[in-house]
Amino acid sequence: MKLFQISFLLIAFSLTTLAQGFNVASSGEKTFNFTDKGKRNQASFFSTTPLEDITGLTNDINGKVSFNISDIKTLKGELSVSTASIKTGIDLRDEHLRDADWLDAAKYPDIKFTITEVKDVKKLADNRLQIKFSGDFTLKGVTKKITGDATLTYLVESEQTKQRAPGDLLGVQAKFKVNLSDFGVKNKVIGQKVAEVVEVSVNMVGSSAM
Amino acid sequence: MNKKQRTINLIAFLAIFGIIIFWLLQGAEIFTKTKVLIDQTSELDKMLGVKNEVWVDKFILGLDYSVVAIVIILILTYILNNLIKNKRKESQ
Repeated sequence: MKLFQISFLLIAFSLTTLAQGFNVASSGEKTFNFTDKGKRNQASFFSTTPLEDITGLTNDINGKVSFNISDIKTLKGELSVSTASIKTGIDLRDEHLRDADWLDAAKYPDIKFTITEVKDVKKLADNRLQIKFSGDFTLKGVTKKITGDATLTYLVESEQTKQRAPGDLLGVQAKFKVNLSDFGVKNKVIGQKVAEVVEVSVNMVGSSAM
Repeated sequence: MNKKQRTINLIAFLAIFGIIIFWLLQGAEIFTKTKVLIDQTSELDKMLGVKNEVWVDKFILGLDYSVVAIVIILILTYILNNLIKNKRKESQ
């Protein structure tokens, strides 16, 4: 009897720690598409220079992720942003950003991120999870492994969510750091020395019905 | 300094003062901006834990363009003052 109780506890413990996912009214494998015609998704980078802080932001994100709702560690997917769509608020600086020295948008039109692993899952609410993720980040034709933190929020389709898109919605807020020299980016923009490491933030919403 | 020169100097001073005030009111930015980020986060975005910002076309005068404008005004003031001074000498 005691052995049965211990076994039951161990199984219950494994299920709660190994298979952590959303506790929502949907179930099974879902694919979320982050291509938004309304261009409401955003990826941005933040960097400091001696003269001012620079924010580069694009609303042009494409890609899909798939996972089993009850186990977020099954999450896999690929996201990309178009290099030429990144803007910093100054047209001349944007042109410089697209130059060969910086992102070389003509030769490398997309910046890609392929998610390969999800770990350290923390349940913040039934529909909200905090995770650590890692994957292959490709910038200027160079691919390196990157890790970051993300918060995922799941909303089951309702009249309110339909205002944004049909289907269930997945909100993703992610942050990771990129070392520019690792990707062959010369960290100068119009004479200003940009920080070696820039922080990348992603705020996007994907739909399971697009 | 005659009346014309005084008028030119006063106009130049007011123009420079106006540029500085305009620059300060626009946030005293170092570099002139052609776009600004506007927060369009909705209630649904908040529920989804995301924010939504977009670029909107807007001219924000920076110190760079302000300095160029001030230097041009100073050069024009100097040239006009000299022209008036020379004309006065010629007429005498």
